[in-house]
Amino acid sequence: MYAKKFGIAVAAALLAAVTTQAVAHHSGAMFDDKKEVTVSGTVKEFQYTNPHSWLLVDVKDKAGKVTTWGFEAEGPSTLTRAGIRKSDFAPGTQLTITAHPMRDGRPAGAWMKATRTTDNKEFIPGAGFAVK
Amino acid sequence: MNMKSVLRVGAPLLLAAVIATTLAGCGKSEESAKAPAAAASAAPAGMAWVGQGDDWAAKKAELQALGEQFESSQALFDKLKADAGGGKPLTWAQMSEPVYDWSGVYTRTKGGLHFDPDLRGPEMETAQLTPAGAEVVKKKQEQLTKTGGEYDPLSDCRPPGTPRWFTEPFLKEWIVTPDQTWLINEMVNDVRRAYTDGRAHTADEDAYATWNGDTVGFWDGGTLTTHTKHLFAGQYQRGIQANYSDQVTTVERWRKTDDKTLQVDVWVYDSANLAKPWYTRQSYTKLSNDDKQLRLRYWDCRENSNNDIITTKDGTSQFRDFNFVENDAAASSDQDVKKAAGAKK
Repeated sequence: MYAKKFGIAVAAALLAAVTTQAVAHHSGAMFDDKKEVTVSGTVKEFQYTNPHSWLLVDVKDKAGKVTTWGFEAEGPSTLTRAGIRKSDFAPGTQLTITAHPMRDGRPAGAWMKATRTTDNKEFIPGAGFAVK
Repeated sequence: MNMKSVLRVGAPLLLAAVIATTLAGCGKSEESAKAPAAAASAAPAGMAWVGQGDDWAAKKAELQALGEQFESSQALFDKLKADAGGGKPLTWAQMSEPVYDWSGVYTRTKGGLHFDPDLRGPEMETAQLTPAGAEVVKKKQEQLTKTGGEYDPLSDCRPPGTPRWFTEPFLKEWIVTPDQTWLINEMVNDVRRAYTDGRAHTADEDAYATWNGDTVGFWDGGTLTTHTKHLFAGQYQRGIQANYSDQVTTVERWRKTDDKTLQVDVWVYDSANLAKPWYTRQSYTKLSNDDKQLRLRYWDCRENSNNDIITTKDGTSQFRDFNFVENDAAASSDQDVKKAAGAKK
């Protein structure tokens, strides 16, 4: 299954950019925070690392070609605060994920929200910055 | 007007407002640099710790004025130390008292990209800049407007340095002992050591700059007051922020204000960039951690090659080479990525 759609982000673009920059160890200039991309696929690997984690997802298009996408999130401590554990995305896990895509066309993006297919549970890395 | 139209018009307007506000602030900074320090006379010397109640704006102005009474951070620190009778050395027996129990995992309470956490959104910082300091901010504005981003040395896991240390949004821990207190930032395994055993700073003729400088201090009834010098130059945070020079120094006054909050009064002195000392109060909140799974982990940019960042020709950031993309140069439209891939070969 391969689904992909682009849309204009509904949040104010500049504020979104500022937010992205505030939470990352690098500038968010490489991501297009005015766009969103949503794909469905199968987890290949969850690289649960500092300073950023990467969720690698195999996405199959209509012709059957598989492309591995990478979705960047914050490091383990922020993901832990967001309730996202390494075991939540074991290889083989089916999901749908939305991200701000790369500007340069490479298959990667800044992870906004992932929904696990088996239980429809949502995983939002940005929630890890809530102070509580 | 539909939502797309609102955003199409609104986002540039917002950007313009940010720039206008900041440039207006830069102009004020130049005026402030020439103004007499009239407010300073209203501040009581050696002002004691004050809580952040409804009158915080007035109290904050007094604390700013307190800093302005002194020509240097060393003079302010000496005054605070004299007022405390030289401080009262801690003992291990006192470590069990709640006021010295700074255990737990904390994070910055608020502030975002602002060094002054009382600010929100596109507001100009409360720093009163020198003309040179204001020019730096103006150039950063121009860069951000032109490219939408910047390259941050943190991308290479270089430390944020102090005073930027206060603003980083990840986890923090404090380890209090009688002779020294460790102020730990998760990011790049960053530790500041505040010596409270009575030692002096490293002599200027033997000192050399480091990211977090040299910190000495004293305790007085649950309040840790420190002085920091010998720092590298840097920026207060990414984005629309001033820089600080290698002449920057700080006076800090730390205190546990309730079971979940550590606060610190920070006075920054930097004659190159600040027309007057810059006072802010930083706050850190103890995070819930009932299952003890929240920990500070080692932080290394080389651990995962997907986190390898390059500087682009227009001064922003880009990923060098994804390990999940077979040929980044072919997959990317960015000439900097192609160039980096070529250099790798």
